[in-house]
Amino acid sequence: MDTPIHVLKRQNKKRIRQALEPFDREKLHKSITVACISSGAPTGQAESIARKVTDEVLSWLEKRPEVTSADLRRIAAARLKTYHPDASYLYENHRSIL
Amino acid sequence: MDTFSSLAILGLAALVHASFQLSIGVMTLMSGHAIGTKKSRAKLFRLSAAYITGAGVMTLLLLSLTVLISIHLFNGGIPLIAWTVCAGLTLGIGIAIWLFYYRRHKKGTELWIPRAFAHHLTERSKATKQSVEAFSLGLVTVIAEIIFIIPSLIVAALTLLQLEGSWQLAGLALYTIISLLGLIIIWGLTGSGHSISKIQKWRENNKKFLQFAAGSALIVLGFFIYVNQVVSIAAGAL
Repeated sequence: MDTPIHVLKRQNKKRIRQALEPFDREKLHKSITVACISSGAPTGQAESIARKVTDEVLSWLEKRPEVTSADLRRIAAARLKTYHPDASYLYENHRSIL
Repeated sequence: MDTFSSLAILGLAALVHASFQLSIGVMTLMSGHAIGTKKSRAKLFRLSAAYITGAGVMTLLLLSLTVLISIHLFNGGIPLIAWTVCAGLTLGIGIAIWLFYYRRHKKGTELWIPRAFAHHLTERSKATKQSVEAFSLGLVTVIAEIIFIIPSLIVAALTLLQLEGSWQLAGLALYTIISLLGLIIIWGLTGSGHSISKIQKWRENNKKFLQFAAGSALIVLGFFIYVNQVVSIAAGAL
């Protein structure tokens, strides 16, 4: 993948201020691993699932130089659902617990 | 009011307090992050214990403060108007909880609290790594849900004032322990290996029931206070 991908992050509720930041593969991988382990997956399995999901998200991103963080989260959750539905639920909803 | 009835009211007020979901949500998040970042079981145990202790200490402090204020305000006995206001507040917040407890049309278990506050608590629960931070988080969370627990605290404080000295201490302890039941259950579940996603799914699937139960319990409590303390005394005075 040659073109750098940028993630449009929402910074407040009304989307008045938004910020672009470079896509960070490690950050995505880590957040998926955390969701898997929190959902009861063993560490090795969590790492393996996170690697597969990150690769799938990267291939989805190939023709998209700019995505929103919400889109990224939605796609990652959808891919994660095929491997670990509980982790996918937690990954998608952890911001709406409080 | 006899000692048994007073303790029963204290117990019901504390159960209503225990049913509120903010401190439970914060603990779910904190435990989820601790498990997800591969903290040991012993560390998770210590964090949860510190968080629950913090919540218990703040509950005890808030209840003691409410009792102290009540003593200063009603030194010569609790007037009828105080019971009437207390019953009205309890009924009003009970109805408000039926209507506004969770944010409507939102996924998950988002509560009707300022978003900046919820965001801050979410970030703090992620950042909590030491027991002392978990203790402070427990203290802050009880303050954050004060709008929901204030009727329970006032009912409990006025009821405690009517008890004898030694029973007052027992009542304080009873209220504090019962108010922590929800947190103790989450502690037990995470400690015994239940996954955070299953706990959160259960909370989301049953959120309407929890909202209905909390609101109804407050309405029952308010109605009981009104009948037992206002109507019966007013009727006795006639």
